[in-house]
Parts: sequence; C-alpha cells; structure tokens
Amino acid sequence: MDLARSRETPDDAGPRERELLEENARLRRIASALMERVESAGMAGGAPYAAFEHAVLLAEQVRERTETLQRTLAELHAAKAEAEAANLSKTRFLAAVSHDLLQPLNAARLFTSALEDHPLPEPSTRLVGHIGRSLKDVEALLGTLVDISRLDAGVLEPDIAPFPVARLLDVLAEEYRQMAAARGLELHYVGSGAVVASDLALLARVVRNFLTNAIRYTGRGKILLGCRRRPEGVEILVGDSGPGIPEAQREAIFQEFQRLGGNRGAEDRGLGLGLAIVDRIAGMLGHPLRLASVPGRGSLFSVLVPQGRLPPVAHPPTASPRLGQGPGQGSVLERARVWVIDNDPGICKGMAALLEGWGCRVLTATSLADLDIKAVGERADVLLVDFHLGEEDPDGLAVAARLRERQPGLPVIVITANHDATIKGLTRQLGYGCLLKPVKPLRLRMALVNLLGGESA
Amino acid sequence: MLDLPPATPVVPGPLEAELPLRTAVSRRRDPRGAARELAGALRHAELGFVLFFCSAEYPLAALSTALNEAFEGVAVAGCTTAGEITPEGYGRGCIVAIGLDRRHFAVSCALVEDLSGFDLIRAQRLVDGLLDDCRGRALAPVGEHSFALTLLDGLSSCEEQVLATLDAALGRIPSFGGSAGDDNRLAHTHVHAEGRFHGQAAVVVMINTRLPFEVFTTHHLRPRDEKLVVTRADRERRRVLELNALPAAEEYARLVGLPVEALEPEVFARHPLAVRLGEAHFVRSIQRVNDDGSLSFYCAVENGIVLTAMQPAPLLEDLEAVFAGLTARLGEPALIIGCDCFLRRLELEALGLVAPASRLLGRSRVIGFNTYGEQHHGMHINQTFTGVAIGSRPVTGDA
Repeated sequence: MDLARSRETPDDAGPRERELLEENARLRRIASALMERVESAGMAGGAPYAAFEHAVLLAEQVRERTETLQRTLAELHAAKAEAEAANLSKTRFLAAVSHDLLQPLNAARLFTSALEDHPLPEPSTRLVGHIGRSLKDVEALLGTLVDISRLDAGVLEPDIAPFPVARLLDVLAEEYRQMAAARGLELHYVGSGAVVASDLALLARVVRNFLTNAIRYTGRGKILLGCRRRPEGVEILVGDSGPGIPEAQREAIFQEFQRLGGNRGAEDRGLGLGLAIVDRIAGMLGHPLRLASVPGRGSLFSVLVPQGRLPPVAHPPTASPRLGQGPGQGSVLERARVWVIDNDPGICKGMAALLEGWGCRVLTATSLADLDIKAVGERADVLLVDFHLGEEDPDGLAVAARLRERQPGLPVIVITANHDATIKGLTRQLGYGCLLKPVKPLRLRMALVNLLGGESA
Repeated sequence: MLDLPPATPVVPGPLEAELPLRTAVSRRRDPRGAARELAGALRHAELGFVLFFCSAEYPLAALSTALNEAFEGVAVAGCTTAGEITPEGYGRGCIVAIGLDRRHFAVSCALVEDLSGFDLIRAQRLVDGLLDDCRGRALAPVGEHSFALTLLDGLSSCEEQVLATLDAALGRIPSFGGSAGDDNRLAHTHVHAEGRFHGQAAVVVMINTRLPFEVFTTHHLRPRDEKLVVTRADRERRRVLELNALPAAEEYARLVGLPVEALEPEVFARHPLAVRLGEAHFVRSIQRVNDDGSLSFYCAVENGIVLTAMQPAPLLEDLEAVFAGLTARLGEPALIIGCDCFLRRLELEALGLVAPASRLLGRSRVIGFNTYGEQHHGMHINQTFTGVAIGSRPVTGDA
C-alpha cells in the first residue's frame, strides 16, 4: 500500500469533503514520514541527525554508568576500610597477646634460672633443664610472632648498608656447621668476596631460616651454603639433599603455620612461621626469593641481594670490646644492692630469686610509692625498673629520673617488653641500660657487671 | 620583543599573583591596541595559555598578527562570536580573553581543518596527542582532572559528526564548547589556533588542572502540547521544507500565531522547537526563513523527526539556580567559561533583561561568548548555556 500517493480530488466533491480529503492526504504524508523515520532508526550510518541521537544515547549511558561506578567505588572504599581495620585490630591483638605472654614467661625463665643454681638431685636437674629449654623455645616462638606483627604493622624500618657478604656468611657457616654435625649432616660452605647492600640483621634472619629449615628437613647428606654472582646482584643460596618440595606446595610453605611432613624429631619444635617471616622480610627489603626443588633429591632456597660498594677509605671495623664472661667478674655482684621495680609481683619474686642467687642484696617494689616505704634512707648500687608500671603510674623512665634526683649517677637498667626502637633510643640518650623482655639471665648479668664494674673502675 | 606602552602594569600585585587565572577585555577597535591592552592585563612570567573570544567585526588577519606579537611564546586559541561575555557581563564588538597560569593549568591545543574527513582514527590520534602533551606537564592525573573545550566553525554544518567522533575518542574526559558566531550575519565564522584564523575548522583545547571543575549545561525551556512532524527535509542543507505536510514556514507561523513575514530570530528565540529523546528535550533552533518557504536550522534535521513546541520559563532564575548549585559543589568559582546561545541573548534583549543578566554573569565570574550552537559531551545542542565552572581552591586529599 502506498500511503504517500496523493489522490485526485473528485470534481464533484463538496467543500467539506474536499477539506477532509486534503487533511487525509496530509495525515498520510505525516504517517509516511514517521514510518520512514522509525524504520531508519538504529541504522549505522553517517546521517548527521543519527550522529546527534547517538551522542545523546551515549551521554545517557555514560551518566548511568558513572553513577553505577561511583556507587561501586564507594562500596569498595567502605569494604577496604573495613578490611584494613580488621587487619589492624588483628595486628594489635597479636602484639598485645605476645606482650602479655612475655610477662609470665619472663617470670618463669627467671625462676628456672634461679632453680638451676640450686643444688638439686640429678633427676631434678635434668627436669629443670628440660623446663628451661622448653621455655626458651616458647620465647623464640613468641619473639617470632612479635616480629611478624611488627613487620605487618610496618614499624620495622630496614637499615640498608654495604657490607662484605662473608661477614654474615662466615659466622653463620660456623654456627650451623656444628648444628648440622649434631644431626649427622655435613655443611659445605663456599666463601665469597662479594659486597652486598642490605640490612645485615634482617638478611641474617632470612639466611638463618633457610639453614634451620635445611637442617630440620634433611635426614642425611649435605647442606650447602654459598653465593652466586648474577647481573642483578648476589644470590645467597642454601641447598640441601632433603626430600624436596612438591610443585603444588611451593607457594603454601611461605604462609604462616604451613609445614610439610618430614623429619619431625623430638627436637623439632617449629610452628612453621619461619618462611612466612622470610617472605615478609624479603618483600620489605625488595630482595627476590627463589626456590628450586626436585622431590627426592633436594631443595635450593635463595635470596637475591643487590650488589653494594664499600666506602673508598674503609677502615677495618674494630670489633667492639666485648665483655668477657670470666668467673672473676661475677664478684662485683657480690653484696651489690639492687633495687627492682616491677608492677608484676611474680616478676619481682623471680628477679629476687635470680639476683640473690648471684649474691646481690635485692629490694623489690611494685611502684615508686612502694619503694619509698621499703627503702627509707637507703641507697642502691643499681636500679632495675620496668618501663611499663601500670596505667595510672608514671613510667619507668620517670621513676628512674626521680630516683636519680635523690641519688645522682645511680646506674639504671630499664626493662621493657616493647620492642619499639623509641624506648631503647630514649634510654640510650639518658645513659641508661635497656633490656628487652623476656630478660635473658646472661644478658642481665652482663649488663649488671658492666654497670657495676664500670663504676668501680 | 614585547612592545608595551609604559603605563601598562606588567608585574602583578601580590594579591593578583595568587590567582590561578586572569581575565581581561578590550573595547579598542584597532587590533594592535586591543591585543596590547589584553597582554598588559594578562601577561606574567607564568602565563601558559590564552583563550579569547572576539567580535567578527575585527579585521581578523590583522588581529591574528597583533595577538601573535602581544603574546609571543604563549599559545593562543579562540573564535569569533555573536556577542561577548566580559568581566562586566554582555558586550558587543569587543574582545575578551582568559590567561591561564601554567602552575595551575596544563593546556594543549589542536586544530582540525578537514572537518568532513574527521574520522575516528584521526580523532583518536588527535586526542592521544593532546593527552600526551598534557601528561608531560600534568598537574594532576590526566584521566580524572582534565576537560576538553571545543570551538567549531558555526556555519560548517559538520558539528554533529565531528562531535560524536571526538566524544568517542575522548572517552570519559568531559567536553563542552560552542560554535563560533559572526554577530548574526550568518556569513563567516572563524576559529583561531596556530597563529591564525580558520574557516571550516575546529579547535580542541585540553585543559588539565588540580582545581575542581564541573562541565554543565542548562536551558529554561519547557514543552507544550503541540507537535510538528518534519515531513520533508533537506538533510545536507539543514533545511526543513515541510512540517505536518505543509510548507514549513507557514506551519510554524500558524503555531506561533504570526504572519510568515514577521518570523525573525527574536520569534525563534521565544518559540523554540525541540526533539524529545528519552526524558529530555533538545532544542533544534531555527536559523532563518528561506524564500522557498522552508526553514533553515542550526543543527541536523531529518525526515520524520517529531518537534515539540517549547515555551520559555524565566531564564535568569534558571541560570542563577545553576550557578548556586555549582558554587555549592565547587566552592566560589574562580571562573566560568560560558557558551551562551545568541538566541538567549535575543530573548533577554526583547524582555529588557540585559542589565540584570550582565550583573548575574559578572557576579558569577563568567567569561565567554554568544554562540551559534553549544556542545556538551559530544552532543550538538541549541539555545542553552553550556560551560565549565572552575573552583578557586585545589582539590585536597586526592583520593
């Protein structure tokens, strides 16, 4: 049907009819134009009006999509904030738990140490030895947990400096050669003259973990420690002739609490945190890790460290004079008056037992006020004070300052479970000693000898 | 060498130096004098780009030369107008300019000379070039903190395709602009870039800034019930020959209740026609009545499109509300670049509202021009106020 065709108006039509016929013809033309338009709509082509229509459509779609995108973005931001908050609270929880566990552990270690100095029947001595070693392991684990939480919280700042890699590896080789020998393994060390740029202490943790794992999982054969120079740096390698790691598990072992089957002897007490730490440290230092393994043949762990350059006029580093541990030096502790302030009575008792075992005269107090009651008019040779003395009380540094006002030059050792460098730095500025919890009896003894011996010198 | 009259202050005062941009107007008729006056107000050590709008009455070649001399070493872009918006509101027969400080704006500018051959590949190349150029000096991430300004020859009849193509290449970068005018003579409109004026051409200016901005468009027209169907159109010449199967001018005159002889731009301004797409109405402005009884439009037309008769609501109330919204979102604007359809100005003139309009524009820091059509996100639109508002303080806490 051709709607557009105009029809002849009959001559005999009246004016009204003529009008209607004309209107009818016009309506047909309008309908025809509309149909043409409807049918050409959506056609791809260069028509200018179509381009305009397309632009309008597009602008509308863009507006809608922008709105959706903004909504999604807002949701993502909220989810991210939530996840970060959860992560932060986890880190805080871990730090708090570790801290709280360190307190009683500290006390237990002190008691055990004191007990070891008592004359005991043979079976008891053995049991005390077991307890001591178990506590030491718990302490190491807690230390690791604290480290992980610090790494996660980002409070650990690497201290990058150039050093000859042998300075690190020679020491480790010596130390682990003995451990390997104890398990019937041979440690093969190839020295290197390379210089690297890294954080010595953190890098040491990485290589130690490699070595500990190699020894732990290798039943027999050899452990290899050495370096390989690469264009990108120096690759420190630890190889073993152990069972190897199946392909599928190579990623999983770098996660927390992941351990493979293998040699789990009585002395195998790891929790599987080692490689998780290695992974975090390497990530922080920007040192790529590599793992190659052939099941049944062995594994090769490595870390790639950038090459370093020593300063041109390098004076040979003079070894800091270390305090000997000769028996003669214990004598300065005899009859030394030691004041211990710790708000935990358990710690106070443990400290007293330990220090008295060394011949010291000990006065313990849970606060400055407590001390003021107990030590009227007395003077001390040395003050051991816990940094954290309860919520309400002044901290250990404030207490030490007060006591130093009364007794200028009083040697002070601040004890803290807070592994932040801040407190350590503060004590150093003030000329105090600083020991981290849990207090290791040997360290404490050395610090005391140092302070008392120095004073008497 | 810059040849400035000794009285012209070149070194800005301490307060002026704080502003991210400066604006200036010259009402001098001689190109050299006008260009020097602008340079005197805009030039400083950190001037990065100059955007100007000028009356088509200037001798254009001489004006190019004068601007090149006065702003030596600084890129200059602009176009001819159907009226200017100066710091004091509406102006005529003058030249108005904006000087952008390079510490706040990274600007890149390109010229399109072959409008009919502007395909997607060329558009993509052009946009890539602009973005690369901006990125080199970018003050903020280019993708989120840039907008494009387009200035088109308003009588080229190529706006729709050029804009749709350019918009596809710009992606999510917002764009707006205006079609150059020639003081309602409908003879020759020009855009300026690369040191001279060009006909049948377009200028694309990419502006990257840390300052907050918003590209917007508004109009004050509301639909009535009457509908007209285009039953015959000359697509090439943007002419509508018939409306509702009757001669177009005749049918439009019947709609507005006037004889065909009385149809003139003031009438077109008061009685616009629009196409409805979705919920929105887009005015398709009538340019003139032709001798054959057809109507020429400022934009593309097509057989079978349905035109809705529109009626104006209070223009200044609408504009004031839009400016208030922009201020609420961006803070007090440092500048609004406005592309204001010349038909709106005709309406204001007919209603005797030019003075209050000028006050509103001046107060709102609008600089711009009266257009033969506006551009917004790739759409060629008519009888709108379209532009960008630029805040005065950088976006803080960039998320």
